[in-house]
Amino acid sequence: MKKLIAGAILLGASSMAFAQPGCGVGAMIWKGQSGIAPHVLAATTNGTFGNQTFGMTTGTLGCQTNESVQSMALYMDSNIDKVARDMSRGSGENLDTLAVLLGVDAADRDTFRKVLQDNFATIFPSSETTSGEAVDAIVALLEQNQSLSKYVAA
Amino acid sequence: MGQSLRLGPALCWLALSAPALADTSPTNENLHLDPAWLTLMHYQQDNLGGGFTSQADDPNFFLSDQGKQAPDRELEATLSAIQQPGSGDNHAQCRFPARTAWLSDQLDLSLPAVDCPAYEEWTETLNTETVTLVFAASYLNSPSSMFGHTFLRLDPPQDDDETNLLLASTISYAADAAAHDSEILFAYKGIFGGYPGITSVQPYYEKIRLYSDIEHRDLWEYRLNLTQTEVDLLIAHAWEIRDHNFDYYFFDENCAYRLLALIDVARPGTDLLGEVSTHAIPSDTVRWVVDKNLVSEVYYRPSAATSVAYSLESLPEAQQTLAAAIANGYVDPDAQEIQQLAPRQQAHVLDATYDYVRYQSEADGWPREFAAPLSHNLLMARSDIDDAPAPRTPPQPEIRDDQGHNTFRASISAGQQAHREFTELTLRPAYHDVLDPPAGYRPGAQLQFLRLDARYYTDNDELQLEQLIGVEIRSLSPRDQFFSPLSWQVGFGGRRTDTGDKRVLTPYLEGGAGGSWLLGNHLQAFAIATADLEIDDDLRRGYDAAPGADIGLLHQSNRFSFIAGAKTKAWIVSSQHRQDQVYVKGNWHLGRAFSLFAEFTREDHYDRYQSTWQTGLHAYF
Repeated sequence: MKKLIAGAILLGASSMAFAQPGCGVGAMIWKGQSGIAPHVLAATTNGTFGNQTFGMTTGTLGCQTNESVQSMALYMDSNIDKVARDMSRGSGENLDTLAVLLGVDAADRDTFRKVLQDNFATIFPSSETTSGEAVDAIVALLEQNQSLSKYVAA
Repeated sequence: MGQSLRLGPALCWLALSAPALADTSPTNENLHLDPAWLTLMHYQQDNLGGGFTSQADDPNFFLSDQGKQAPDRELEATLSAIQQPGSGDNHAQCRFPARTAWLSDQLDLSLPAVDCPAYEEWTETLNTETVTLVFAASYLNSPSSMFGHTFLRLDPPQDDDETNLLLASTISYAADAAAHDSEILFAYKGIFGGYPGITSVQPYYEKIRLYSDIEHRDLWEYRLNLTQTEVDLLIAHAWEIRDHNFDYYFFDENCAYRLLALIDVARPGTDLLGEVSTHAIPSDTVRWVVDKNLVSEVYYRPSAATSVAYSLESLPEAQQTLAAAIANGYVDPDAQEIQQLAPRQQAHVLDATYDYVRYQSEADGWPREFAAPLSHNLLMARSDIDDAPAPRTPPQPEIRDDQGHNTFRASISAGQQAHREFTELTLRPAYHDVLDPPAGYRPGAQLQFLRLDARYYTDNDELQLEQLIGVEIRSLSPRDQFFSPLSWQVGFGGRRTDTGDKRVLTPYLEGGAGGSWLLGNHLQAFAIATADLEIDDDLRRGYDAAPGADIGLLHQSNRFSFIAGAKTKAWIVSSQHRQDQVYVKGNWHLGRAFSLFAEFTREDHYDRYQSTWQTGLHAYF
């Protein structure tokens, strides 16, 4: 199931392509990249709906080979402001979507929501945080948590 | 030319002999006229003669060179092609899985097994159990949205909580307008053809982002009751048309139309396309789908704008002021005023304010330097509050968009103008005016197309065209402390105008802009500055222009709607006379199919007073 969803999200992003997983800058290359890393918090969009949706930058994600994490990163990239909102509230369908993409079991969902809400300031230290940085912070947080670390294991 | 002449007989021979070569002939020699085949190939009966032409405008959609106009040749060519040995994505079975499935079923064929890796991967990834028709409602300030928009969502099985519909795929059909085309060229090509129509697959969250967050349109999700077999056929046909061009036309062969064809394919005999006459308005197409008992469940997804308006409204007045103060930067999100509220209330104020700032950033382009740090502070403050309930979502409107009045209106009325009695017949193909039953439509919004008013004067047996509206758009959207939309109107057509001694039919162009304010539950006041232009030989200088004003009250409810006000226009070129008017118009709604209406106008023009009154019946169908 998880695989199918990951597949679905990749199918949707048919204009981009993954490079071979690996470390280092440029390990993930997105075809049609717009070059602008989306910052948290709407304001960058100014109501336009352009090609920025998949304008993801590398961050340190190149080292992450976990397919679920990559799908989550992709989702965060185009929904970063809504994900940030749901995280600050500790609930919401975009937060649930992250859980689905990471394959978090129903039993761990409450912990997942709570960890992300309690560490909001760590995940989004400023309004200039990029989605790549936020993903890295989330992965680091989940790795430290006993019941959640299995979902981000590379 | 010479070459095609030589090729002609050869192709005919091939086409005719192909079934013989394949050693299978149709058991039913009229199979190519089967409605299911005609639907699969998008054939429509020609207006002249008994032939058929396919709406597909891409030669690769056909296997026969004459396929576009020859259902029989295409069927023979398809039969032959799918029975060829071979394998791979280019095999006819892989390119046209729906046709293959249908033919194989009809003729009980035993087809060679063919591997179609691309198609198999596609269906596996889409993993579709049910199909949902999604209708993006209109939004007030965009005329092109007023018809609505539809697309299909492909829902995966819902049997575990790993399923999330935001990640479901959608299929939509849209004009592939070149980005550099101007608005006018866009309108022209959209109406008269010239844009290729493209079927695209995207995740649902992208659609939500576009329609709900950016365009502020509520989404209605109609889950269809298709069986798994029907769903599979729909997916197979979507694959067939996916990369093929069908010319796009705004009015008929539009986004909604192609989706209807997909549903027709999925459930043969449905014939939704049979409902389309001159135009396919998405809200109408939803009605047909509902009427044909294809819908099992309806779900409402309010837009970002609807949600933020609702959460601001549901704050107590003092907290609304507080939210406005935070949003405008007068009060910090962690200020004393907030801290002294109960945690639950703090959460509500912060949530509503954040959603409002985000809305304004999208809709009104609040500068990022201001909005981004403020948003961040709001979220930081909110993340400190645990266990507050999620914001309440706006309730589903009692009347859905597809339950509003039908869009075609015919009216008959009788009246008197300057003591001359007349009978009037009005036909309006689309769509809604502010006095029509408001349920299912945006309050204060009006969009009329090609309305024709014909009058018969009884005193001298004269039939006159009173007016012909090309397009008339009006958007009266109330302002408050959070939202300040512009009210505006624009229109063109032909109308009777008074030259001083006669009434002549004159082409006109009119527009206006102003504001509108809510006075009560269903009552708003508006003030619009207007401009009129008329061009006609009968005017002294050939044309006339008038700046003016229109001030009035509008009430809209499901029982009764009225508009009353005063208009003044100062004609400044030819007649140099002021034209002043007071008017009252009321509609009494008898259900959603009929309204009784009455209107009265008193006018002062060329230093003389004139009254017009009129009363009659509107029928919607």
